[in-house]
Formats: sequence, C-alpha cells, structure tokens
Amino acid sequence: MTAVRCIDLCKTYRQGDQDIKALDHVSLEINAGSFLCLSAPSGGGKTTLLNAIGGLDAPDSGEVWIAGRRIDHLKKSELAQLRLMQIGFVFQAYNLIPVLTARENVEFVMQVQGLSAAERVRRSSAILDEVGLSGLENRRPAEMSGGQQQRVAVARAIVSHPALVLADEPTANLDSRSSDELLRVFVELNRKYDTTFVIATHDQRVMGYARRVIKMLDGRIVDDIEQHAD
Amino acid sequence: MNVTVLLAWRNLWRHPRRTWLTLGAMVFSNVLLVFMISLQFGMYRLMIENTLLTFTGHLQVQAEGYNDNKKMRQIVPDIQALSTRLREKLTLNTVSPRAMAFVLASSKDRTYGIQVLGVDPEHEPLVSSIPGLVEDGRYLQASDTAEVFIGRVLARNLRINVGDELTLLGSGRDGSLAAAVVVVAGIFESGVTDLDRSIAEIPLTFFQDTFFMRGAGHQIVITTPDLSLVNKTVAAVDSILPKDEGLVTLDWNVLQPGLKQAIQADISSAFFMYGVLVVLVAFSVLNTQLMSVLERTHEFGIVMALGISPGHLGRLVMLETAMMGTIGLFAGAFLGGLVTLWFSYNGFSYPGMEDMAANFNLPSRFYPQVTVLAMFLGPLVVFLFTVLSALYPALRLNWLHPVAAMRAA
Amino acid sequence: MRLLRIVATLAWRNLWRNRRRTLIMVAAVSVGVWAMIFMNALMRGMVDDMVRSGIESLPGHVQVHRLGFRDDPSINNLLPLNDAELAAKLDAAGLVAWSSRINVPAVITSERESRGVTLYGIDPERERKITFVPNSIVAGRFLEGVSDKGIVIGRRLLDALETDLGKRVVVMSQDPDNEIADRGFRIVGVFEAKLESYEETMVFAGKSTVQRMLHVADRVTEVAIMSDDYRFVEQTVQTVRDKLGADVEVLPWTELNTYLASMLTVMDGFALVWTIVIFLALSFGLVNTLVMAVFERVREIGLMLALGMRPFGILAQVVIESLLLLLMGLALGTLLAWLSILPLQSGIDVSAVADGMEMFGSSSVLYPKLTMADVVLANVVVLGLGFIASLSPAWRASRYQPIEAITKV
Repeated sequence: MTAVRCIDLCKTYRQGDQDIKALDHVSLEINAGSFLCLSAPSGGGKTTLLNAIGGLDAPDSGEVWIAGRRIDHLKKSELAQLRLMQIGFVFQAYNLIPVLTARENVEFVMQVQGLSAAERVRRSSAILDEVGLSGLENRRPAEMSGGQQQRVAVARAIVSHPALVLADEPTANLDSRSSDELLRVFVELNRKYDTTFVIATHDQRVMGYARRVIKMLDGRIVDDIEQHAD
Repeated sequence: MNVTVLLAWRNLWRHPRRTWLTLGAMVFSNVLLVFMISLQFGMYRLMIENTLLTFTGHLQVQAEGYNDNKKMRQIVPDIQALSTRLREKLTLNTVSPRAMAFVLASSKDRTYGIQVLGVDPEHEPLVSSIPGLVEDGRYLQASDTAEVFIGRVLARNLRINVGDELTLLGSGRDGSLAAAVVVVAGIFESGVTDLDRSIAEIPLTFFQDTFFMRGAGHQIVITTPDLSLVNKTVAAVDSILPKDEGLVTLDWNVLQPGLKQAIQADISSAFFMYGVLVVLVAFSVLNTQLMSVLERTHEFGIVMALGISPGHLGRLVMLETAMMGTIGLFAGAFLGGLVTLWFSYNGFSYPGMEDMAANFNLPSRFYPQVTVLAMFLGPLVVFLFTVLSALYPALRLNWLHPVAAMRAA
Repeated sequence: MRLLRIVATLAWRNLWRNRRRTLIMVAAVSVGVWAMIFMNALMRGMVDDMVRSGIESLPGHVQVHRLGFRDDPSINNLLPLNDAELAAKLDAAGLVAWSSRINVPAVITSERESRGVTLYGIDPERERKITFVPNSIVAGRFLEGVSDKGIVIGRRLLDALETDLGKRVVVMSQDPDNEIADRGFRIVGVFEAKLESYEETMVFAGKSTVQRMLHVADRVTEVAIMSDDYRFVEQTVQTVRDKLGADVEVLPWTELNTYLASMLTVMDGFALVWTIVIFLALSFGLVNTLVMAVFERVREIGLMLALGMRPFGILAQVVIESLLLLLMGLALGTLLAWLSILPLQSGIDVSAVADGMEMFGSSSVLYPKLTMADVVLANVVVLGLGFIASLSPAWRASRYQPIEAITKV
C-alpha cells in the first residue's frame, strides 16, 4: 500500500534577486511501513519536500497524496485536521511548549483531538514509558536534556498512532549518544506499529538506520537506494 | 485539569513583571472607577433628596402653566378638599397644599420683597424640612391665624424677632391690593442663604383670606417614601385629579429641571473621563498581548504544524487575557471597595469643594457608600474592553503561516 | 557629547525594531495627552464662562459697600460718601472703569402680577463699560442718562408680569425712614441674559430717578470697579482701599462670590489631578514597554558592556528611548487636541441640559479654551514623570553583568 505519493512537484522561492528551485519536478512513492531517509545538503529541498508532504506548504504545481487522498488543494482547516489526526511531526530541538511539563506537552495535542482526561493520562503514561521517559513526566523542557526533549517531541508525534511521522533534522542539536537513542526509538516504533517514518537529515548516522535513502540536490532526486538497515 | 487552561495560566506568568504591570494599569483604573462611581452615585442621590425634601417635594399638583409663570390666578381650586382626597386615595399622609405670593414685607424700620407661602401647619412638616429647622420660637400650628414663620437672614435684615409684627403688602388673586399684619411665631435657619433671606410661611387659611383666594391655592406638594415610587405616584395622582379643571401633576424633573440636567451634565463629563481611562487600559492590554503573541511565533508555528488550528490558539490568547482581566476585575473591585469603605467612615472632601457642594445642597464632607453596583460597574467595563483589545492579537494568528512562523527565532 | 549622539541614534533605531509595539504605545500616549488637554480646555472654558457671567451679574471685578451692606442690602446701608466725593477720589485713581449705583430689593408690579427683584439705579454712560446689559437689549433701548424715567427689565420677567414694552409698572421699595417708596416706570427696554435667573431678578433705572424715588439725594449703595483682567484684581483693590479709607468695604469678586472663586481653584486642582491620573494610567504601559524592550536585548546589552560601553550609556539609551517615545506621543496628542478644539471654537451647544448647566452657573454653550498653561502642564507632567518612570527599567538594564547577559538564552 502507498502511504505517500508525490507527482511532479515544483516549488520556487525568491531569495534576493535569485529564483531558487527548491523542488524541481519531484515524483516519489513511499510505501506504508517504510523507514525512509531524505538526504540532502542544506538548501537541497528536503525540508520543502517534507513540508509539502505534511501539508504545511503548498507546492507551486504537482500533486500530493496521503493514504489515497489528494491533499495539496485542501483548505487550511482541513490540513490542520489531517495533521492533527494522521501525521506526526518532529522538528529540530526547541519544539516543545516551554511552560508545559513533558506529560502536558503530550496531552495538549490529545486534548485538542478531544480525548477524555482519563484516556489522555493512560496514553501519555504509556507512550512516555515507551520512549524511555518514565519518571520524567513532570519535568519542564528546560529541566531536560536535548535528547530527552526530542523524545518528548516523538512521544507527542506518535501518541495518537498516526500512519505517518515526518521528522525534520531531529538529531541536529543532539550528541551522538542521544541521537542513537532517539533513532532506536524510531526504529522500535516503526516495527511495532508499522508507522511510516520520513526523516529529512544530512546526518550520516541517521541514514544507517534507514531502509531506503533518497538523495536530493538542487530540488531534484538524484539517487534512490534500497538498503537493509543494521 | 484542562491542559488549555493550564497552558493559558502558565503563559500568563512567563513574564511576571509584564503581567503585573498590565494588571497594575487595570487595578489602578478600577480602583479609581469604583471610588469615583460610588462617590458620584451617592452624591447624586443626596443632592436630589436634599434639594427636593427641603421644599419642592417629589411631585406637585398645579394649574397648568403655573410652574412656568407662577401667576396668582393660576390656581388649584378648593385645594384643602383635594389634598384630603389625595391623602385618602393614595393612603399617603405626605400631601400638603400651598399658596404663594410675592409681597413687600415691612417691619418697623425695614422693607424687603419676599415670597410668602400659605401652608397647612399640620401637613407641611411632612413634606418639607423647613418646619423642622426652628431656631427660635416655634413652627405654625393649626390654630394659628395671623402668625408667620420666617428665615433667619430675613429676620436679621428686617430687625425683628419672635413676637414682633410684620406688615405684608402685595396683590391678591384678582390683582387688587392685599395687606395683612402678622406676628412672628418662629424663625428657621436652613443654611441656604437664598431660602433664609426670602421665605415666610403663614397659615393657608389666613393666606386665602388675605389674598382673596376663595379656597384656592397654587400647589399640592407630595413626597413619596422612595424616589423610585415617583412615577407610579404621578400616575395614581393623575387618575384622582378632576378632569376638567386644567390641573397637572408634575414630577421633580419638571419642577427642578436643573437638578436632573446638572446630574446628566456631570455624568457625561465623568463618563468621558472614565472612557479615556478604559481606553488607556485597553492599549496597555493590547500591547502586552501583542508582545506575548509575537514572542511565541516560533512556538505557535510548531503547534500549528502539529495540526492545532489558529482558532484554537486564538482562543488560548483570549483565555489568557480573560484570566488577566478577571484578576484585574476582582482585585480592582476589592481594592476599590476598600478605598471607598475607608472614605465611607472618614469622609471625603476636596479643597475648595465646600462652596461648590453648598451650591448643590451637599455637605462639604461626603461619605460614599459601598454598593455592589458601584463596585462592579467600572471594573466590568474595563474587563470587557480588556477582552476586546486582545481580539487583534488573537485574530492575527489566522494569518500566521506555520512554516514562516517556525523560521522565526 | 559623542557618546550621547551614538546613544541617541541607538535609542531611536531600537524604538523602531518593534514597530508595532512602539506605535501602540505612541497611540496610547497620544490619546492620553489628547484627553488631558481636551478635557482641561473644556472645563477651563466652562469655568471661564461661569466666572465671566458671574462677574457680569455682580457686576464689576471689585465692589465697594458700606460695612454690613452685603448681609443687609437695604437703603439704610448707604455708602458714607456721596457721588461728588466718590468722583473726586476715584476719577484720579487711574481705574479702567468705575460706576456708582443704588441697588435695593424691591417689588415690581404690573396690572396683573408682582415679583420680587433687585432694583439697580445706574449711570448708563459709566455702566456701559461694566455690565453686559447695554449690549443685550433685544427690544426697545437701554437707559439714556441718569435721569431717564424708563426702566429696563429682563425678557423672562416681562413674560411673568404679563406686560410689554411701553407699558407701565410700579416699583415699590422703602426709603431710609422705612416709608414705602413707590414710583411708576414705563418699560423702555428688554434684555436677555445668558442665565435665566438674571432675566428674572434684575431691573435697571436711571440713578437720579431712583435716588429721588428713595429720597436719598446724591447717595449710593455700591461702587463697581473694573480692572484689566479678572484674574488679577489685588492691585485694584489696594488702590481703591487707599483712596476710600477704612470705613467702607472694598472686596474683589473672589470674596463677593466665593462659589466662583472656589471654582477657579477647584479647576486648577482638577487640571493637575486629571493630568496626573492619565499619566499614571499610561505609566504602566510605558514601563512595560521599556521592560520588554530591555528584556529582548539582554544579549546585546551584554555585548555593548563587553565592548566597553559604560553602564551609564545603557541607562541613557533606555531613558532616551522612553523620552523619544513620549515626545512623539506628546506631539501627536497636542496636535490632536488642537485639531479637535479648533472646530469647536464657535461653541458646543449643550442646551439639552441648559437648566443643569445653570445650576453650575454656566450657560448652555460651552466654549473650550485651549490655554498655553494646560498644554505646558500636560507636556511637563508627561515628560517629567515619564523620565522618572523609565529610570527603574533603565537602571536594571545598566546593571547587567556582561558575561551573564551574553550567555543568557
């Protein structure tokens, strides 16, 4: 089954007096349950592609399909609903709400999804345990390490079991040990729930975990490698 | 606990100094509003009561046109009988007939132009405070005939005292010369120089004989137990009055148009000032909430990427504002109430206010009352504007693009 | 000096880094300053009008009476000096204008009605420079000479007496022997006044005519004197006192009508209180803005300190930033006030509450009065107190330790 399908995506930015082609006729299919790595140097178009897939940014032309539904022409509110229920996001560091504890950060999204308080507590405890944060539920972001913060962000992204998780440079601000811990959590979740992971990165270590690596340069796919992880 | 509520509360205290300063603006204005409004309402009420109960009463029955021209021949015929009937039908004892004339009053060595009133000695004390202000001698009695009750300043100017004679010279109802000699029974002092200088009261029956009134008078003064009953009483009196004699019932607004208008003029200037205060608070809140939204742009971008709608974030901002507004509301009302309470025991006066106060029949030291209405009226308006002023920062979120927002530091 | 230029440039640029916040604060200051000046101009205009009409009714900035006349305004309290003696002393005193007159309480009677009034026996030539009446005649003419046999009365009195121009009225008062003194007058002129009560109670006749009627030869009860400006009458009072000696009472209007005088003081007090209240309401927002501006720039401030700028430079920068912001608000607010008062120069009609305004002693058209003093007051208060209010955040900013500040996230 196809989780994500992109057809002939184009996107051009204007920077100063230069046009920059962030996406240049990109077509791509990602199967459900994939663990995929988008690799490119800075400005290679990976974040733009990720944002297009997540409905954060509309392409200039082309189509984006998620789980058999075309999303590039949806309204803002429909896209928000889509992200809330079906897609999980993990960004670079500093993406937690600083005034909420780890548990509350996770619960916040569930509350917007309309879950009951009891259900929220049950799920947040389970998911925080799963990402290895038992005992740290009541810490605020400032009281946790970068790796721990990112694991809270992951917990927040997957707590409602989305079919697709998009991660943009999740290890950018982490040391190697924290990075490994985080990636192991990704792999674990991928296996356990068959969740599709798309990770944009230029971190070599991340690519080592991926079963498929797509390399981009100047907005074009230049390489698409299937590999066996580990 | 609801995470959104928790989030709003914690956000409020991200910059405690900022929140306290904004609350400070709110509480400052609220305390001022509570105190000023308490003072104003109390003053108006006292002004009305003092002015009306001295002399005018809450309503009067008069001949149509008498109120404008005060002419001798604009009469209420058979005024005693009508007064008695009103008393019975209204089951209200505070109904008193009067007649009025301008006369020259001469003592042995002085002459002054004054207003002489024919009153019912039995009922006049029920509708006017003047009979109770006896300084010397006594008030008129039912058995009196040629007796007079005059003001202190008038007595001094005429150089007369209790027991002395006074000659009244004027014109009667038909325009013919009317004259009488009366004996001073008592002297009053109200402290209002105009009244003390120019008023003399004589028994109504004696007045009617002297001025050829043939049983008529000029006004029936009625007071009600409470100001709020005036409208009902006017209607009741109207239904009792004989239909074809050209009589009208006038309430205090018509009798003393200046009073209500002075209050209105004062209210409008006061409301202008309150309005300015409220607008300034609104600016303060607008600035704070806008800052608070702008500095969270990055954070908002992330949660929007997670699928949380701008509307939800907007409601969060409104909730934060409402929380702040609620604290300001209650703190302001409470502190304002305390300040008012302090003044309600110790009295409030403003240097130079004595003369102004006297002009409106007010004491120079004023004791405001703490009422729920006065405590919450101002602060509620401030609250309303506080919430309104957060609309702009909240609605701005609708134009926020998650990707651009996340790029913000 | 060079430091100051750098610091001022920095302050100015910093102000515009957060354009929205600065603009909101400038708007708040503008509204506040506008409200200060506008309200003060309005009140100032009203009080000015009250004082003017009050003085017109006295009339005169300074009055001379026999001791005791004011309490007992009777013909028995004539001035000890006669017309010729007064003229000899006062003509040489270099006064702007003066006039002697007789004013006594009297009763005026038409064929149908009578009223109590104050009869003024005046010298029309001299009086022209003192009272408003000659310029307010709406029918007939003003008096011509001291021996004029006519009388000039107010429009409302004319209506109350049911008489008309050219008809006869009888005026009764007393002579010094307490005999009734009366005389018929033909109504030759009708005047209108800004305050209704003047129209009802003031009647004017030739001085010599009244002197003959009251059998007082060439004696008078009162001298009215004008000075250049009603605000500065002390000099005139002194001059007249020196001339006339100690057995007469020479009083400025401020003591003749303490209500009016107290209004002037109350107004000055009000202007100050109102200005300060508005400033306080603003100050919370101002300090808040500065606190935020400093907070956002902690790293920069640390950097500047590390680069060798003295803490005083930082303090000056924040204070100057605050003053620049206030100056913009002041300029805009003052301009706004001027622009909003300009079209109101022809007066604001508040006749809907005319009777109420009359209770205050003011007429039904308000003329806002923009005075330099009020503009200066607003500007000085805002800048002065604004300077003080900005010291605290500025001081805190200058106390940062460079390293801590730089490493702070």
